[in-house]
Amino acid sequence: MKTFEEKWTAWLDGQLTGRELSEFEASLPDRAAAEAEKANAKQLGELLKREFGARTLTNEEFFSHQLREKIKQERFESSAGFASGRRKNSSWWTIPRLLWAGTMSLALFLVCMVLVMQNEKPADESQYLTQILNARVDPVISPNATVSIFEVKQDRVTVLWTEGLQSLPADYAAK
Amino acid sequence: MNKGGLRPTMQTEATPAQADVSELDLVRRCQAGDTEAFDELVTRYRTRVFSMIYNMVHSEQDAWDLAQDSFLKAWKSIKRFRGRSSFYTWIYRIVMNVTIDWLRKKHIKGAGAEFDDAIQLRQVDPASKTVPKKEALPYETMQRDEIRTRIEQAIAQLSPEHRAVILMKELEDMQYHEISEALGCSIGTVMSRLFYARKKLQNLLRDVYENV
Repeated sequence: MKTFEEKWTAWLDGQLTGRELSEFEASLPDRAAAEAEKANAKQLGELLKREFGARTLTNEEFFSHQLREKIKQERFESSAGFASGRRKNSSWWTIPRLLWAGTMSLALFLVCMVLVMQNEKPADESQYLTQILNARVDPVISPNATVSIFEVKQDRVTVLWTEGLQSLPADYAAK
Repeated sequence: MNKGGLRPTMQTEATPAQADVSELDLVRRCQAGDTEAFDELVTRYRTRVFSMIYNMVHSEQDAWDLAQDSFLKAWKSIKRFRGRSSFYTWIYRIVMNVTIDWLRKKHIKGAGAEFDDAIQLRQVDPASKTVPKKEALPYETMQRDEIRTRIEQAIAQLSPEHRAVILMKELEDMQYHEISEALGCSIGTVMSRLFYARKKLQNLLRDVYENV
Protein backbone atom coordinates (compact mmCIF):
# COMPACT_ATOMS: atom_id res chain seq x y z
CA MET A 1 0.00 0.00 0.00
CA LYS A 2 1.58 3.22 -1.16
CA THR A 3 1.46 6.29 1.02
CA PHE A 4 0.14 9.58 -0.29
CA GLU A 5 3.71 10.91 -0.58
CA GLU A 6 4.74 7.96 -2.71
CA LYS A 7 1.71 8.27 -4.95
CA TRP A 8 2.18 12.03 -5.30
CA THR A 9 5.85 11.61 -6.26
CA ALA A 10 4.99 8.90 -8.77
CA TRP A 11 2.25 11.07 -10.21
CA LEU A 12 4.59 14.03 -10.47
CA ASP A 13 7.18 11.95 -12.30
CA GLY A 14 4.59 10.40 -14.59
CA GLN A 15 5.04 6.97 -13.09
CA LEU A 16 1.39 6.35 -12.28
CA THR A 17 -0.57 4.53 -14.95
CA GLY A 18 -3.91 2.85 -15.53
CA ARG A 19 -6.27 2.40 -12.65
CA GLU A 20 -3.77 3.68 -10.13
CA LEU A 21 -3.54 6.98 -12.00
CA SER A 22 -7.26 7.47 -12.38
CA GLU A 23 -7.87 6.54 -8.73
CA PHE A 24 -5.24 8.96 -7.54
CA GLU A 25 -6.45 11.81 -9.70
CA ALA A 26 -10.00 11.18 -8.56
CA SER A 27 -8.87 11.34 -4.94
CA LEU A 28 -7.32 14.79 -5.34
CA PRO A 29 -9.51 17.40 -3.65
CA ASP A 30 -8.39 20.24 -5.93
CA ARG A 31 -7.25 18.93 -9.26
CA ALA A 32 -6.32 22.36 -10.63
CA ALA A 33 -4.12 23.16 -7.64
CA ALA A 34 -2.45 19.77 -7.94
CA GLU A 35 -1.73 20.34 -11.63
CA ALA A 36 -0.25 23.73 -10.78
CA GLU A 37 1.92 22.07 -8.15
CA LYS A 38 3.03 19.51 -10.71
CA ALA A 39 4.03 22.22 -13.14
CA ASN A 40 5.82 23.96 -10.31
CA ALA A 41 7.84 20.84 -9.52
CA LYS A 42 8.77 20.51 -13.17
CA GLN A 43 10.00 24.11 -13.17
CA LEU A 44 12.08 23.36 -10.12
CA GLY A 45 13.61 20.33 -11.82
CA GLU A 46 14.44 22.38 -14.90
CA LEU A 47 15.98 25.10 -12.79
CA LEU A 48 18.16 22.60 -10.95
CA LYS A 49 19.23 21.01 -14.20
CA ARG A 50 20.05 24.35 -15.77
CA GLU A 51 21.91 25.86 -12.85
CA PHE A 52 23.35 22.72 -11.33
CA GLY A 53 24.48 20.96 -14.46
CA ALA A 54 27.59 18.84 -14.71
CA ARG A 55 30.67 20.45 -13.21
CA THR A 56 33.88 20.10 -15.06
CA LEU A 57 36.62 18.33 -13.29
CA THR A 58 39.63 20.48 -13.85
CA ASN A 59 42.93 18.63 -14.17
CA GLU A 60 41.31 15.31 -14.94
CA GLU A 61 44.64 13.67 -15.66
CA PHE A 62 46.06 14.89 -12.39
CA PHE A 63 43.01 13.47 -10.64
CA SER A 64 43.72 10.04 -12.12
CA HIS A 65 47.43 10.37 -11.45
CA GLN A 66 46.82 11.22 -7.81
CA LEU A 67 44.49 8.27 -7.47
CA ARG A 68 47.00 5.94 -9.12
CA GLU A 69 49.62 7.09 -6.64
CA LYS A 70 47.26 6.51 -3.72
CA ILE A 71 46.44 3.01 -4.96
CA LYS A 72 50.13 2.28 -5.44
CA GLN A 73 50.85 3.52 -1.93
CA GLU A 74 47.94 1.53 -0.53
CA ARG A 75 49.11 -1.65 -2.26
CA PHE A 76 52.66 -1.08 -1.03
CA GLU A 77 51.50 -0.50 2.52
CA SER A 78 49.24 -3.52 2.55
CA SER A 79 51.94 -5.77 1.08
CA ALA A 80 54.59 -4.32 3.40
CA GLY A 81 52.25 -4.69 6.33
CA PHE A 82 51.53 -8.29 5.40
CA ALA A 83 55.23 -9.10 4.96
CA SER A 84 56.26 -7.42 8.19
CA GLY A 85 53.39 -9.12 9.95
CA ARG A 86 54.52 -12.47 8.63
CA ARG A 87 58.15 -11.73 9.52
CA LYS A 88 57.08 -10.61 12.92
CA ASN A 89 55.04 -13.73 13.48
CA SER A 90 57.61 -16.17 12.25
CA SER A 91 60.85 -14.56 13.42
CA TRP A 92 60.61 -14.84 17.21
CA TRP A 93 59.29 -18.38 17.74
CA THR A 94 62.06 -20.23 16.01
CA ILE A 95 62.90 -23.71 17.30
CA PRO A 96 66.20 -22.69 19.00
CA ARG A 97 64.40 -19.84 20.73
CA LEU A 98 61.61 -22.13 21.81
CA LEU A 99 64.16 -24.54 23.25
CA TRP A 100 66.03 -21.77 24.98
CA ALA A 101 62.85 -20.34 26.46
CA GLY A 102 61.74 -23.78 27.62
CA THR A 103 65.09 -24.51 29.27
CA MET A 104 65.19 -21.16 30.98
CA SER A 105 61.65 -21.60 32.27
CA LEU A 106 62.49 -25.04 33.65
CA ALA A 107 65.66 -23.77 35.34
CA LEU A 108 63.76 -20.89 36.89
CA PHE A 109 61.10 -23.27 38.13
CA LEU A 110 63.70 -25.55 39.74
CA VAL A 111 65.47 -22.64 41.45
CA CYS A 112 62.15 -21.44 42.83
CA MET A 113 61.32 -24.94 44.05
CA VAL A 114 64.64 -25.26 45.89
CA LEU A 115 64.22 -21.86 47.49
CA VAL A 116 60.70 -22.65 48.61
CA MET A 117 61.72 -26.02 50.03
CA GLN A 118 64.65 -24.51 51.92
CA ASN A 119 62.47 -21.85 53.47
CA GLU A 120 59.79 -24.28 54.54
CA LYS A 121 59.93 -24.82 58.32
CA PRO A 122 59.89 -28.43 59.49
CA ALA A 123 56.77 -29.38 61.37
CA ASP A 124 57.04 -29.54 65.09
CA GLU A 125 57.72 -33.05 66.19
CA SER A 126 55.26 -34.77 68.42
CA GLN A 127 56.06 -34.86 72.05
CA TYR A 128 55.21 -38.57 72.09
CA LEU A 129 57.62 -39.27 69.27
CA THR A 130 60.47 -37.60 71.12
CA GLN A 131 59.72 -39.63 74.16
CA ILE A 132 59.55 -42.94 72.34
CA LEU A 133 62.70 -42.22 70.42
CA ASN A 134 64.45 -41.47 73.65
CA ALA A 135 63.12 -44.62 75.23
CA ARG A 136 65.20 -47.66 74.96
CA VAL A 137 63.92 -51.05 74.03
CA ASP A 138 65.73 -53.54 76.14
CA PRO A 139 66.78 -56.39 73.81
CA VAL A 140 66.93 -58.75 76.75
CA ILE A 141 63.45 -58.08 77.98
CA SER A 142 61.87 -57.61 74.57
CA PRO A 143 64.05 -59.33 72.02
CA ASN A 144 61.46 -59.21 69.22
CA ALA A 145 60.29 -55.67 69.84
CA THR A 146 59.91 -53.39 66.81
CA VAL A 147 58.89 -49.78 66.77
CA SER A 148 57.60 -48.20 63.53
CA ILE A 149 56.76 -44.58 63.04
CA PHE A 150 54.37 -43.26 60.39
CA GLU A 151 54.34 -39.55 60.05
CA VAL A 152 52.11 -37.26 57.97
CA LYS A 153 53.63 -33.87 58.38
CA GLN A 154 51.01 -31.84 56.53
CA ASP A 155 48.32 -33.11 58.86
CA ARG A 156 50.67 -33.03 61.83
CA VAL A 157 49.88 -36.67 62.62
CA THR A 158 52.34 -39.32 63.73
CA VAL A 159 51.35 -42.94 64.22
CA LEU A 160 53.59 -45.03 66.42
CA TRP A 161 53.29 -48.73 65.78
CA THR A 162 54.91 -51.00 68.41
CA GLU A 163 55.08 -54.77 68.32
CA GLY A 164 56.64 -57.38 70.64
CA LEU A 165 57.01 -55.12 73.66
CA GLN A 166 56.75 -56.89 76.98
CA SER A 167 55.98 -53.71 78.82
CA LEU A 168 55.71 -49.98 78.18
CA PRO A 169 57.68 -47.43 80.14
CA ALA A 170 55.86 -46.73 83.36
CA ASP A 171 55.40 -43.00 82.72
CA TYR A 172 54.35 -43.34 79.05
CA ALA A 173 50.65 -43.66 79.70
CA ALA A 174 50.75 -40.54 81.83
CA LYS A 175 51.98 -38.53 78.91
CA MET B 1 18.64 -4.15 -15.03
CA ASN B 2 21.73 -4.11 -17.04
CA LYS B 3 24.38 -6.31 -15.53
CA GLY B 4 27.74 -4.74 -15.79
CA GLY B 5 27.23 -3.19 -19.18
CA LEU B 6 26.97 0.49 -19.82
CA ARG B 7 23.58 1.91 -19.10
CA PRO B 8 22.00 3.32 -22.22
CA THR B 9 21.25 6.67 -20.60
CA MET B 10 24.62 6.99 -19.00
CA GLN B 11 27.09 9.43 -20.38
CA THR B 12 30.68 8.55 -19.70
CA GLU B 13 33.98 9.94 -20.80
CA ALA B 14 34.86 6.74 -22.59
CA THR B 15 35.94 6.88 -26.20
CA PRO B 16 34.16 4.46 -28.56
CA ALA B 17 37.13 2.11 -28.35
CA GLN B 18 37.02 2.16 -24.59
CA ALA B 19 33.29 1.63 -24.57
CA ASP B 20 33.83 -1.61 -26.48
CA VAL B 21 35.49 -3.05 -23.43
CA SER B 22 32.59 -4.10 -21.28
CA GLU B 23 32.35 -2.74 -17.82
CA LEU B 24 32.13 -6.23 -16.42
CA ASP B 25 35.40 -7.21 -18.11
CA LEU B 26 37.06 -4.20 -16.58
CA VAL B 27 35.66 -5.07 -13.18
CA ARG B 28 36.89 -8.67 -13.48
CA ARG B 29 40.33 -7.39 -14.37
CA CYS B 30 40.25 -5.01 -11.40
CA GLN B 31 39.31 -7.91 -9.16
CA ALA B 32 42.42 -9.69 -10.41
CA GLY B 33 44.47 -6.66 -9.36
CA ASP B 34 44.77 -4.87 -12.70
CA THR B 35 45.17 -1.20 -11.86
CA GLU B 36 45.04 -0.16 -15.51
CA ALA B 37 41.52 -1.54 -15.79
CA PHE B 38 40.55 0.43 -12.72
CA ASP B 39 42.14 3.51 -14.23
CA GLU B 40 39.85 3.08 -17.20
CA LEU B 41 36.80 2.86 -14.99
CA VAL B 42 37.94 5.99 -13.18
CA THR B 43 38.32 7.79 -16.50
CA ARG B 44 34.78 6.83 -17.43
CA TYR B 45 33.15 8.04 -14.25
CA ARG B 46 35.41 10.63 -12.62
CA THR B 47 33.55 13.68 -13.94
CA ARG B 48 30.11 12.36 -13.04
CA VAL B 49 31.26 11.33 -9.61
CA PHE B 50 33.00 14.64 -9.02
CA SER B 51 30.01 16.59 -10.30
CA MET B 52 27.58 14.73 -8.07
CA ILE B 53 29.74 15.23 -5.01
CA TYR B 54 30.28 18.86 -5.87
CA ASN B 55 26.54 19.45 -6.00
CA MET B 56 26.27 17.88 -2.57
CA VAL B 57 29.10 19.72 -0.84
CA HIS B 58 29.53 22.92 -2.89
CA SER B 59 33.28 22.97 -2.54
CA GLU B 60 35.64 22.02 -5.33
CA GLN B 61 38.45 20.98 -3.01
CA ASP B 62 36.20 18.87 -0.80
CA ALA B 63 34.54 17.33 -3.84
CA TRP B 64 37.95 16.44 -5.23
CA ASP B 65 39.05 14.81 -1.98
CA LEU B 66 35.77 12.95 -1.52
CA ALA B 67 35.87 11.70 -5.11
CA GLN B 68 39.40 10.45 -4.50
CA ASP B 69 38.30 8.73 -1.29
CA SER B 70 35.33 7.18 -3.05
CA PHE B 71 37.41 5.72 -5.87
CA LEU B 72 40.03 4.50 -3.42
CA LYS B 73 37.33 2.76 -1.38
CA ALA B 74 35.93 1.28 -4.56
CA TRP B 75 39.35 -0.11 -5.43
CA LYS B 76 39.76 -1.60 -1.97
CA SER B 77 36.38 -3.28 -2.08
CA ILE B 78 36.18 -4.14 -5.79
CA LYS B 79 36.48 -7.83 -4.94
CA ARG B 80 33.14 -7.64 -3.17
CA PHE B 81 31.39 -6.37 -6.31
CA ARG B 82 29.16 -9.23 -7.47
CA GLY B 83 27.72 -7.64 -10.60
CA ARG B 84 24.16 -7.63 -9.34
CA SER B 85 23.92 -3.98 -10.35
CA SER B 86 25.87 -1.87 -12.79
CA PHE B 87 29.28 -0.69 -11.69
CA TYR B 88 28.02 2.87 -11.73
CA THR B 89 25.19 2.13 -9.31
CA TRP B 90 27.65 0.28 -7.12
CA ILE B 91 30.19 3.09 -7.06
CA TYR B 92 27.38 5.57 -6.56
CA ARG B 93 26.55 3.82 -3.34
CA ILE B 94 30.13 4.26 -2.17
CA VAL B 95 30.11 7.89 -3.27
CA MET B 96 26.89 8.56 -1.40
CA ASN B 97 28.09 6.83 1.76
CA VAL B 98 31.35 8.77 1.74
CA THR B 99 29.66 12.09 1.02
CA ILE B 100 26.76 11.71 3.43
CA ASP B 101 29.14 10.60 6.19
CA TRP B 102 31.30 13.62 5.49
CA LEU B 103 28.31 15.96 5.54
CA ARG B 104 27.07 14.50 8.81
CA LYS B 105 30.49 14.90 10.36
CA LYS B 106 30.74 18.44 9.16
CA HIS B 107 27.26 19.21 10.51
CA ILE B 108 26.38 21.46 7.67
CA LYS B 109 23.43 23.51 8.75
CA GLY B 110 22.03 26.84 7.77
CA ALA B 111 22.61 28.83 4.70
CA GLY B 112 25.88 29.60 3.09
CA ALA B 113 28.15 28.44 5.89
CA GLU B 114 29.93 25.88 3.78
CA PHE B 115 30.21 27.73 0.53
CA ASP B 116 33.55 28.61 -0.79
CA ASP B 117 33.34 32.00 -2.42
CA ALA B 118 36.62 31.50 -4.17
CA ILE B 119 35.24 28.71 -6.30
CA GLN B 120 34.78 29.54 -9.91
CA LEU B 121 31.61 27.70 -10.75
CA ARG B 122 31.74 26.30 -14.20
CA GLN B 123 29.13 24.61 -16.23
CA VAL B 124 29.62 22.45 -19.24
CA ASP B 125 28.30 24.07 -22.31
CA PRO B 126 27.49 21.30 -24.79
CA ALA B 127 28.34 23.54 -27.70
CA SER B 128 31.49 25.01 -26.27
CA LYS B 129 33.80 22.83 -28.34
CA THR B 130 32.34 23.82 -31.70
CA VAL B 131 31.06 27.35 -31.21
CA PRO B 132 33.15 30.22 -29.88
CA LYS B 133 31.98 30.91 -26.39
CA LYS B 134 29.86 33.97 -26.00
CA GLU B 135 30.98 35.96 -23.01
CA ALA B 136 28.13 36.74 -20.64
CA LEU B 137 27.48 40.33 -19.72
CA PRO B 138 28.58 41.32 -16.22
CA TYR B 139 24.97 41.84 -15.21
CA GLU B 140 24.00 38.38 -16.48
CA THR B 141 26.92 36.79 -14.71
CA MET B 142 26.02 38.52 -11.48
CA GLN B 143 22.38 37.51 -11.77
CA ARG B 144 23.29 33.92 -12.52
CA ASP B 145 25.69 33.75 -9.58
CA GLU B 146 22.95 35.10 -7.37
CA ILE B 147 20.50 32.45 -8.53
CA ARG B 148 23.05 29.73 -8.07
CA THR B 149 23.81 30.94 -4.58
CA ARG B 150 20.09 30.87 -3.76
CA ILE B 151 19.82 27.30 -5.00
CA GLU B 152 22.91 26.22 -3.10
CA GLN B 153 21.58 27.80 0.05
CA ALA B 154 18.24 26.06 -0.40
CA ILE B 155 19.89 22.69 -1.03
CA ALA B 156 22.11 23.21 1.99
CA GLN B 157 18.98 23.30 4.13
CA LEU B 158 18.08 19.76 3.13
CA SER B 159 19.34 16.79 5.07
CA PRO B 160 22.16 14.85 3.35
CA GLU B 161 19.72 12.07 2.44
CA HIS B 162 17.13 14.42 0.93
CA ARG B 163 19.89 16.27 -0.87
CA ALA B 164 21.19 13.04 -2.38
CA VAL B 165 17.76 11.93 -3.55
CA ILE B 166 16.76 15.15 -5.24
CA LEU B 167 20.10 15.56 -6.98
CA MET B 168 20.14 11.99 -8.21
CA LYS B 169 16.61 12.30 -9.52
CA GLU B 170 16.72 15.78 -11.04
CA LEU B 171 20.32 16.00 -12.20
CA GLU B 172 21.22 12.41 -12.91
CA ASP B 173 17.78 11.30 -14.11
CA MET B 174 18.17 8.14 -12.09
CA GLN B 175 15.22 5.81 -11.65
CA TYR B 176 13.74 5.18 -8.21
CA HIS B 177 15.19 1.68 -8.01
CA GLU B 178 18.64 2.96 -8.98
CA ILE B 179 18.51 5.61 -6.27
CA SER B 180 17.31 3.05 -3.74
CA GLU B 181 20.21 0.77 -4.66
CA ALA B 182 22.69 3.61 -4.44
CA LEU B 183 21.42 4.74 -1.07
CA GLY B 184 20.64 1.32 0.32
CA CYS B 185 17.01 2.09 1.16
CA SER B 186 13.60 1.09 -0.14
CA ILE B 187 11.94 2.61 -3.19
CA GLY B 188 9.16 3.88 -0.92
CA THR B 189 11.71 5.74 1.17
CA VAL B 190 13.22 7.27 -1.97
CA MET B 191 9.80 8.48 -3.12
CA SER B 192 8.94 9.82 0.28
CA ARG B 193 12.24 11.68 0.57
CA LEU B 194 11.75 13.05 -2.91
CA PHE B 195 8.33 14.34 -1.91
CA TYR B 196 9.64 16.26 1.11
CA ALA B 197 12.79 17.48 -0.66
CA ARG B 198 10.72 18.87 -3.53
CA LYS B 199 8.24 20.51 -1.20
CA LYS B 200 11.00 22.24 0.71
CA LEU B 201 12.83 23.41 -2.38
CA GLN B 202 9.59 24.61 -3.94
CA ASN B 203 8.89 26.71 -0.89
CA LEU B 204 12.41 28.11 -0.79
CA LEU B 205 12.89 28.72 -4.49
CA ARG B 206 9.42 29.50 -5.77
CA ASP B 207 10.27 33.15 -6.48
CA VAL B 208 13.46 32.13 -8.28
CA TYR B 209 12.03 29.71 -10.80
CA GLU B 210 8.88 31.75 -11.33
CA ASN B 211 10.86 34.86 -12.20
CA VAL B 212 13.71 33.38 -14.19
